Amino acid sequence: MAVATRKKPDELLDSDFMNRLDQLSLVSRKIFAGKMRGERLTKRRGASVEFADYRNYVSGDDLRHLDWNIYARLNKLFIKLFLEEVDLHVSVLIDVSKSMDWGDPHKGLYARRVAAAIAYIGLVNFDRVSLYGFADGLQFELSGVRGRRLMARVIDFLTKLEFAGAGDLAATGKQFAIRHPQPGIVLLLSDFVDKGGYEDGLRFLMARKYDIYALQILSPEEIDPRLAGDLRLTDMEDEDFAEVTVGRALLNRYKRNLEAYCGGLKDFCATRGISYMFTSTEVAFDQMVLSYFRKRGLLK
Amino acid sequence: MSFLSPATIALAAGLTVPPLIALYFLKLKRSVRMVPSTLLWKKSVEDLHVNSPFQRLRSSVLLLLQLLILLLAALALGKPMLEMALAHESTIIILVDQSASMAVMEADGRTRLDMAKHQAKRVIDGMDEDSRAMVIAFCDRATVVSSFDTDRQALKRKIESIEQTQSASSLGEAMSLAEAYTQNIIIGSDEAGADRAPDSVAPPATVFIFTDGRVEDADKVTLQKFDVDNIHVTSVGKRADNVGIIAMNARRNYETPEILEVSTTIENFGPDPVALDAVLYIDGENVDVQSIELGPLPDAPGLGEEDHDSPVPTKRTEAADSVGVIAFDEIEFGGGGTVEVVLRIDDALSADNRAWSIIDEPRHVQVLLVSGGNWFLDSVLQTLPLTVEKMTPAQYEQADERDIQDGDRSRFDVVIFDDHSTARLPQGNYFFWGGIPTLDGLSRKDIIANEVIFNWDETHPVLRYVGVEALYVYEWHRLVLPPEAVSIIDGQSSPVLAYLSRDASQYLISAFSLIAYDEKGRPLMNTKWVTTADFVVFMQNTIQFLSGTTSIGARKSVRPGSPITLPIPGHSDEIKVHRPDGVVDRVPAVGFDNIHYARTRQVGVYRLDPGLSGNDVFAVNLFNEVESHVRPAEALALGAVTLTTKAASIQVNRPAWSYFLFGLLVLLLLEWVIYNQRIFV
Repeated sequence: MAVATRKKPDELLDSDFMNRLDQLSLVSRKIFAGKMRGERLTKRRGASVEFADYRNYVSGDDLRHLDWNIYARLNKLFIKLFLEEVDLHVSVLIDVSKSMDWGDPHKGLYARRVAAAIAYIGLVNFDRVSLYGFADGLQFELSGVRGRRLMARVIDFLTKLEFAGAGDLAATGKQFAIRHPQPGIVLLLSDFVDKGGYEDGLRFLMARKYDIYALQILSPEEIDPRLAGDLRLTDMEDEDFAEVTVGRALLNRYKRNLEAYCGGLKDFCATRGISYMFTSTEVAFDQMVLSYFRKRGLLK
Repeated sequence: MSFLSPATIALAAGLTVPPLIALYFLKLKRSVRMVPSTLLWKKSVEDLHVNSPFQRLRSSVLLLLQLLILLLAALALGKPMLEMALAHESTIIILVDQSASMAVMEADGRTRLDMAKHQAKRVIDGMDEDSRAMVIAFCDRATVVSSFDTDRQALKRKIESIEQTQSASSLGEAMSLAEAYTQNIIIGSDEAGADRAPDSVAPPATVFIFTDGRVEDADKVTLQKFDVDNIHVTSVGKRADNVGIIAMNARRNYETPEILEVSTTIENFGPDPVALDAVLYIDGENVDVQSIELGPLPDAPGLGEEDHDSPVPTKRTEAADSVGVIAFDEIEFGGGGTVEVVLRIDDALSADNRAWSIIDEPRHVQVLLVSGGNWFLDSVLQTLPLTVEKMTPAQYEQADERDIQDGDRSRFDVVIFDDHSTARLPQGNYFFWGGIPTLDGLSRKDIIANEVIFNWDETHPVLRYVGVEALYVYEWHRLVLPPEAVSIIDGQSSPVLAYLSRDASQYLISAFSLIAYDEKGRPLMNTKWVTTADFVVFMQNTIQFLSGTTSIGARKSVRPGSPITLPIPGHSDEIKVHRPDGVVDRVPAVGFDNIHYARTRQVGVYRLDPGLSGNDVFAVNLFNEVESHVRPAEALALGAVTLTTKAASIQVNRPAWSYFLFGLLVLLLLEWVIYNQRIFV
């Protein structure tokens, strides 16, 4: 919370916090091949200084990789194999549907801050960072940024995100999977309250074998609504409405339903190797990043 | 349940229910709130609906409750009445017993009369709007307290004004009065005009009788007009414990008039044995106290259940131990005054715990014997405790008025003429042996001889204990009597002894002389009867009867409600009668020699002011076993019909709007609770 108080209300990251983030790097449970050589060792043998193994020379091999010392001793040709260092694709998908433009603390702001922090960590570690804003499809895109110096673009991108329209996770997942065949880390920042269901969208992403992290962000008003009386509840996204007389019974029923909904999402993720995380916007965002993400293995 | 104004219900419901339903159609004005998604809310609402068994009802339960509330309010406005009263005709007759036994104080501190009035007022309360009622109070006579009226408040005021009396109960007059009033009930009308109820048809009236069932003449009541089903007898009261004086006799000793003997008959009418003290007061001073123990009254049936021929209980012979006699003997009392016996007991009825007797001063009766000389009369009168003066017929006719008269009346209690007829007859009491008073319609004819006496009125006071069988008279004069004269002894063709009362004077006329004279003028005994003891008794009876007082010195008392006639001083314009309750009745008396006073409804001693000495005080005593037997009767036999009394209180139609209002409030509370459960977290 101390960190949060130093931030301006609309400032995504402050310098102190960024300093602390410098120490962190993103961890992928899977080793992915990048387009460019990066700072990560992959299982692929490639050009790096990290020795991996020897193998017999076959014609056509690069003679530069012959181990002449072995040849001198054994009179046999061996090729020295090295682990290839690759960069990591980190994609952060931010839900910019209208429903994220709500809450106190604001869900959208919370999501952007998380995105900024993850993007910063990625940039610092020379990972290939892509940021997307999605609602009923990918609407905003900042792809393939790399290096700390591009952090300003990231901030600019995040600041300019506009929350509008209804969310459609399925369309988004499909679109993203088609456009991004490269494996990598995918961080989904959303409230996951989608009338079309979250399952299809996640399934599309899973098909690409991304290392998927799903962070469900809900505001305190959603978790424990302070409503009473005869109300006409209007859906921010599609103007749909529900006429309810809110009483104790209905509230209890709502909370049970919310619990079941979140539990369903969690189970869905768990059975499919997706890391599910839940947070309320009440939880201080920096603590969330520094401790919760590390605890869940996204950062180290 | 009925409604006095059903139109109001329709009006109120019509005015309120449609707007309420319209409001529900318009629905609630819900406040709009934005939420990120209605997904979970809709699901929750659906869940709730699925889980509640009466979901449709639940959604409109408030509407249902509000409709019910409106309905109850409309019904309450319709003046609902709980129909608990007996069905009755549009004409109601209420008979309220005001006799002595109704003064019994019951356990709740009210008298039976109070209870009867209360019940009667409940009948009035339960009357339909178009009904009318009349109220009759009855004791020994019936009084119309209120003629037919529809004004309930006025009727209730009239009922409240019914006063307690200490008279006996007599229902016959009240029923006759009620029947007489209902004769003129108009039962309907046609085009020709009002159609009166024919006599043969029972009057369409419902009769409510409020009594404790102690009615003396119940057997004599005949229900000629009323339908038995329309007569409702309500029994009031429960107490049965009562001890009462049913007879009292105060008399002076015949030999020594200064000695007073008072005997009192006391009966226990209660179910438990009692021991009590009886206190004798003379002029308010405690003279003697005696104790007595009385057994319980044998379990006698209620009055109405008894033999119709004897409505007055006849159980005294069967249950002697419930009846006792207290005799106060050897009371020395030389003066005149009021003797009072008081029973020291706290029982149901107090009126029968006291009895009074007025005792005159012991004095000898003043007798004037106008005779030319009669040994038999002289000797007999000497044996009697009398003051006798004698005059010859000539002396009497010539005597100064002051010698024989005191004002308009004779100075003597009794004047006896022996074989002398006269017209000098100031108001007084006269006994003629052989002569006659010179009065209109009275004359003496020829002499009858050798006839026998064959008929006499042995119940007449002058013949009490007198044997007339041995009376044989040689000759007597044929008497021609005026119509109002009464023959006491009859011969074959003419009265032998006659009694005439005229103009405040009494005349006892014997057709025969005691002494007859033969042709030579020698006296002969006209009858040997004069030599018998019967003659002495006859003379004693005659003088007692004519003088109006007896040597025992006690005056007769009257029963409550009975009229009494008393001689008064001639010059009085107004006589004040001081009643036992302290009230003074003023009776105009200009030009009258006596007054008739009938307001004797309370027991006690009444005093006249001014009054003639010896006639200025009289006592009223209950002495009524029917009234003293206070246990309420379970049935009332009216002639041949036995009506079961109902001890239950009269049920009246009660307004029921308060119940509707209460239900309305409960529903309002329920609606509030349900509403709050819905909206508050």
